Amino acid sequence: MMASPWLDVLDETIQACAAQDRADLVQRLRMRRSELVTPKVRVIVLGESSQGKSQLINGLLNAPVCATGDDVTTTVPAIVEHAASPVGALVTGEVTPALESADRVPAAAESVTAQANKQPGVVRAEVGLPRKLLESGLALIDTPPVGPEVSELTRATQSVLPQADAVLLVSDATRELTPAELDLLERASTLCPTVVVVLTKIDLVPGWRLVAERNRARLAKGGFPATVLPVSAALRLAAARSGDSVLNEESGYGALVSYLHRDLMGQVELLRRRSVSALTRMTVDQLVVPLRERLSKVQDSATDELTARWRAAGRQLEELQRESARWQTVLSDEVADLMADLDFDLRDRTRRILREADEYFEVADPAKDWDEFEDWLRENLKAVAEANSNWLLDRFEWIARKLATQIAPHRPEVFAPETLLDDVYRNEVGDLRMPTVERFTIGQKLFVGMRGSYSGLLMFGLATTLAGMDLINPISIGAGVAFGAKSVFEERGNRLKRRQATARTAAHRHVDDFFLTYGKESKDTVRLIHRELRDRCTAVAHELRAEISETAKRIKQVIDAETAQRGTATRELTKGIEQLDLLRRRGQALAGMSAVRGLTA
Amino acid sequence: MNLPDRAWTLLNQALDVYADSPRAINWLRRHLARFTDPLRLAVVGAHASGKSTLVNAIAGECVATEGGQGMAWYQVPPVRSQSPLTLIDTPAIGPDMEPGAVESICMEADAVLYLMGHPHNADLAFLRAVQDHPVARVAAVNSVAVLSRADELGGGRVDALISARQVARKYRKEGELSGLCQDVIAVAGLAASGGRTLTDDEFELLAGLAAAPKEELDPLLLSADRFAADPERERLLVRFGLFGIRLAVTLIRRGADTRAALSTQLAQRSGLGDLRDAISLYFTDRAPVLKARSALIGLDVVLRMEPRPSAAPLVAELERTLAGAHEFHELRLLATVSTGRVRLPEELREEAIRLAGGYGLQPQERLGAQVQGPPLRQAAAAALRVWRAYSENPVFGAAERHAARTVARSCEALITEPAP
Repeated sequence: MMASPWLDVLDETIQACAAQDRADLVQRLRMRRSELVTPKVRVIVLGESSQGKSQLINGLLNAPVCATGDDVTTTVPAIVEHAASPVGALVTGEVTPALESADRVPAAAESVTAQANKQPGVVRAEVGLPRKLLESGLALIDTPPVGPEVSELTRATQSVLPQADAVLLVSDATRELTPAELDLLERASTLCPTVVVVLTKIDLVPGWRLVAERNRARLAKGGFPATVLPVSAALRLAAARSGDSVLNEESGYGALVSYLHRDLMGQVELLRRRSVSALTRMTVDQLVVPLRERLSKVQDSATDELTARWRAAGRQLEELQRESARWQTVLSDEVADLMADLDFDLRDRTRRILREADEYFEVADPAKDWDEFEDWLRENLKAVAEANSNWLLDRFEWIARKLATQIAPHRPEVFAPETLLDDVYRNEVGDLRMPTVERFTIGQKLFVGMRGSYSGLLMFGLATTLAGMDLINPISIGAGVAFGAKSVFEERGNRLKRRQATARTAAHRHVDDFFLTYGKESKDTVRLIHRELRDRCTAVAHELRAEISETAKRIKQVIDAETAQRGTATRELTKGIEQLDLLRRRGQALAGMSAVRGLTA
Repeated sequence: MNLPDRAWTLLNQALDVYADSPRAINWLRRHLARFTDPLRLAVVGAHASGKSTLVNAIAGECVATEGGQGMAWYQVPPVRSQSPLTLIDTPAIGPDMEPGAVESICMEADAVLYLMGHPHNADLAFLRAVQDHPVARVAAVNSVAVLSRADELGGGRVDALISARQVARKYRKEGELSGLCQDVIAVAGLAASGGRTLTDDEFELLAGLAAAPKEELDPLLLSADRFAADPERERLLVRFGLFGIRLAVTLIRRGADTRAALSTQLAQRSGLGDLRDAISLYFTDRAPVLKARSALIGLDVVLRMEPRPSAAPLVAELERTLAGAHEFHELRLLATVSTGRVRLPEELREEAIRLAGGYGLQPQERLGAQVQGPPLRQAAAAALRVWRAYSENPVFGAAERHAARTVARSCEALITEPAP
């Protein structure tokens, strides 16, 4: 057989299906291909119920092969083909997409359709008749009515529709084409592009010419320039009975038969091209849809989200810059506050100690009580140092926590106070040196006493001499003793006061020393921790920055990779779509290659 | 109190409640006025489904013209076999109809004849819309589907009506149609209207045709084209259709050789008789019930459009009336039993129809006995016992037992209620 352009297009369509992993389509198309290469032409008779579909076929064949009735009669498709002698078969088994195949039960040609319509489990009926009309390979397919609802019958009809090479849409002349019928016509013509509307029962209706005219107008308006062929099966059968050729002419079957002969069987090549064109268009439409979906998905979805994340990382970096500066400010503010507070606290506590020490030495004698005082003072200063440094540590802990919540809430260990304050020294209060306190020794007492007694003795001796007494007499001696004792006593008081003053001074100096030393060390500690915290802040900021930059870099890499990938995919998909479009155009070209007279109205 | 009285009382009570609303008063007065009017029967269908033809056939006169716009009203006076009736010819049902047209038809008509072609292709949206009202759902008793071009269904053969009747019989029992209408009836509209409005001239013409030799006439009758070649014959064709002419010729040849006889025979053979019987059985014989139904729908509209606290007792009473209206059940029963949707043995079927008021609403008619007073009650009690037994008879299916319960309820009414 000569290679035909439509065969090439069909094969390419099959290849395209295979390339898209559509095994189902490949199988269907292969099946269709095997049908198309035979010279057989399948004409499907389609329509709503009681429009005279079966009667139309009977009229064509001049034999009651298809069972007719006034209600829904045809329930399974019936195929009428040429055979040397009348044969019939009931086909049972699964509803397969192919018209060939499945199990056959032989039956009488005249009654096979009636049997098929009644018997359950029958998929279709097959009739072979020795008719000249069928000799060239024409097969007529009678179908169950297509109803307003998707019924079992409608499905049975739709299952054979894709195998058709041409469609005769049957509508009776009692009314114009309904919207449902136009819809049916549209659906049928996507599967099978060669459609003719057959207007039946014209013998019954006086105004059938008007109906035909309106139908033609409506079809033209709807974009289906289908031929409308008015026929009357009743007249045709009557003509066949009486052999009346005029009546046969009136039946309109002449035009229908000549259409089947000349325009269908005579134009098999064109029919094939049209069928393949429709097949290609349908297949390409099916193939293109997922490709287009993928393409649009590739085009819009891709990196929008990633780019947004990348931009967000950039913004995060800027923000981090600002934030880290703010952290430092917060830290130095806190530390400054802390310093001021610590200083005040220390000053306040030491002053209180000094005040107590002063009060203590109002009465106490340092010579006797120094040890006790020294212990007390040391304890107190130690307590001050401890309280103060504890406070310092507590405050730093608080600051650290505050920073942690602000800076690194997800990594609390960075600002963990334990690690931070471990190495901070714990201050010891220095030794308090005993002030040089002079002792009131016996010698000194004696000397002071003697000095006092002497002056007393002298004073009273001189006075008593005026009364004629000796300078030294019992009175003056007595007075001298008294004076001596007094000056010893007084001397002792003065010395105590002096000692107390000295002790106070010593205490003051010591506390001062402590204040200075401890203050210095405390401040050092503050600075130390401040620095530590600052460094950690900086380190965290640095880490975060590194992290963010790393993420941003990775996102960017992904974006770049995906952009490249998308480019490739887009190119591939676009190429695929273009190829399919080309295929479709070639299919279209097949149909339009030569508009043969009669096929297009 | 029976249903029509109740509906009448309710409407009057509503008049008091809505005394201050002119719109409601107007609406209610219109429904009160409708009560005493003849039954309104709307003939509804798609474009060219034969609405006007059927209106003419039922009216027995050429009243309706084809292609009329809007609703056209025709009064049909009472004659021997037909109660008074108001026929409403309606605009074609279809995608291009005005919005609200279906509602207005539903509101104006007491009953509906829905014209369709083959039921397999029929669009049932209109029938669904007719029942799409709370009151209508409770009482889906006011529509009959008509296969109005039954001759075309049968391909115009002389026996076309026989097969069309078979189609109608099948669809009245099966599928969605059985729930949407009370019956499906096949009528050859042109033959029916031609028969009912047959003129002497037309009879002469037909008789002339029948007198012609068979071999001369038969070729003419083969197709409309051939027959219409002569202008006189063309007029006949327009009036009767090819089927009507074939039928008339056959009838004249078989002996219907007067105008009256032919007219009667045509009406009978075209299915018009069946249609008129159905109209009597389902609609005109029960006109008060259908009137009450329309009135209750009208009342329901008022109660829903202008709700007010003082109307609450009316709403409750309306619900009670609808729930307890045995008349609706009787109508449903008549439809299911006479269409064969419920299969009772022949003698029980007759008795069920009789007791449910299919042959007359008087107690004597229902019981089929010319008695009065206590004997009548005894007869009713006997029937009640029998039908109660049927309602519990396990031999019957659920639908049959339900029908028997309805009949028993009718018997109870005969015992307890005064004669209507």
